Amino acid sequence: MSEFLAGFQDTMAYVVTLMPSLMAGAWVTAKLFVWTLVLSLPLGLPFALGSNSKFWPIKAICQIYVFIFRGTPLILQLYFFYFFLPIAYGIRLDPFVTSVITFVLNYAAYFAEIYRGGINGIDRGQYEAAHALGLSKSQTMFGIVFPQTMRVILPPVSNEAIVLIKDTALASIITVGELMKASRGAVNRDVDTTAYIIAAIIYLGFTFVMTLLSNHLERKYSRYDSREVD
Amino acid sequence: MTKVKSNGIVKIILKKDLKAGDIILEMKGIYKQFPNCLAVENVDFSMHKGEIVAIIGPSGSGKSTLLRGINGLEKITEGELDLYGTTGMVFQHFNLFPHMTCLKNITYAPMKVKSVNKKSAEDKAMSLLELVGLKDKADVFPGQISGGQKQRIAIARALAMEPDLMLFDEPTSALDPEITGEVLGVMRKLAEGHSSMIIVTHEMNFAKEVADRVVFMDGGKIIEEGTPKQIFEDPKSDRLKEFLKTVY
Ligand SMILES: Nc1ncnc2c1ncn2[C@@H]1O[C@H](COP(=O)(O)OP(=O)(O)O)[C@@H](O)[C@H]1O
Ligand SMILES: [Mg+2]
Repeated sequence: MSEFLAGFQDTMAYVVTLMPSLMAGAWVTAKLFVWTLVLSLPLGLPFALGSNSKFWPIKAICQIYVFIFRGTPLILQLYFFYFFLPIAYGIRLDPFVTSVITFVLNYAAYFAEIYRGGINGIDRGQYEAAHALGLSKSQTMFGIVFPQTMRVILPPVSNEAIVLIKDTALASIITVGELMKASRGAVNRDVDTTAYIIAAIIYLGFTFVMTLLSNHLERKYSRYDSREVD
Repeated sequence: MTKVKSNGIVKIILKKDLKAGDIILEMKGIYKQFPNCLAVENVDFSMHKGEIVAIIGPSGSGKSTLLRGINGLEKITEGELDLYGTTGMVFQHFNLFPHMTCLKNITYAPMKVKSVNKKSAEDKAMSLLELVGLKDKADVFPGQISGGQKQRIAIARALAMEPDLMLFDEPTSALDPEITGEVLGVMRKLAEGHSSMIIVTHEMNFAKEVADRVVFMDGGKIIEEGTPKQIFEDPKSDRLKEFLKTVY
């Protein structure tokens, strides 16, 4: 029993020595996550609207963009931006910035498709009623259409956000010092997998917070009964 | 099928001092060409402020298209349309905004389009809710009320913009027969208040009773028009006689 206790104390002491580097990594992960969401959530909207455009060049550009970023591995996109800019233009961006740019472009493509589905689900009659009341195009979109898409797009958007928490780990391959890289460093150095377990717990913590937040938003936007039955 | 060239002219002239009896709407040689069908063909029509016009006719005869041409929901292909004022529209399927309470449905457009402040928009909305008999539904979402109630809210919503001309496109067609009365009752009140109204309807008795003039459309054209008495009791054209036989 006391042997077990001593072992436990040793482990805890080791965990304490790991914490500073893991918390620093978790902080970078959190920043990657927040920056990506803050930028890609709005960026998806013009691509969603563009994919619905009647002007074919805009429609084509938006559809090709979505096709490329959803159709290739994120890890390839990371490598591409990490090596492409220095090789082609001699520009060396900070790896963190490169990761944010890549994640934003990738996630905006997914969000664009989710938004587009939500927007296309809105009945024509809603646009007609708005027009008949004299509402402008932007008043119609922001006041009538987008709020109604919320309840439809929130579940897939929060799902993507949870996937993003885990995708941030990919940034480690282009040397970003986030949680994955920090834990891998400790494991390789000490030949001890404890750091991975702590990292897993931290990732789960992020996911848990994200799940709570999305449940809260989904409840908020489901107050009304959306099915307008004739 | 004749293809029509595209030179529809729509003029909306905002005259504040329109008096009863002044022309509120004038259409000359109106055509609406859809890719595979000519929905409205050479329609001439005009009406006065305060007049109540019912449009009747078989399904597919171009009634909705003509009505929607008046408020710009359809772009007319050829002809001239002069509108002296603003329009409001009531749809067959209500088209209420499901994410807003009934009150918000009514106040939203005046606040956004006319920058009316919240307090006066809400006061106005409450008096409109009273008019349509639904004061108790102010804070309820449209998903929670019946079809007849929805349509009454939709009428209040359109009235909140104080339109000069109200357009009704089969306002009771989506309702169960036993509840059409509550909607027709509200429309009757508006008619008594001397609103200018165009009502596309299958309710022949209502048209007979409320309309000053009845227009019969078929195949995209106005075939016959006249007072309810002329149209229902003394139809001239075979097509109208045929149509009246099918609806009675
Ligand atoms: N958006 C549209 N595109 C193509 N054809 C249409 C469209 N709207 C109506 N039509 C056609 O125009 C004709 C008149 O339709 P409509 O005005 O709805 O008739 P009504 O209201 O009298 O039933 C019909 O043949 C219909 O199929
Ligand atoms: Mg119709």
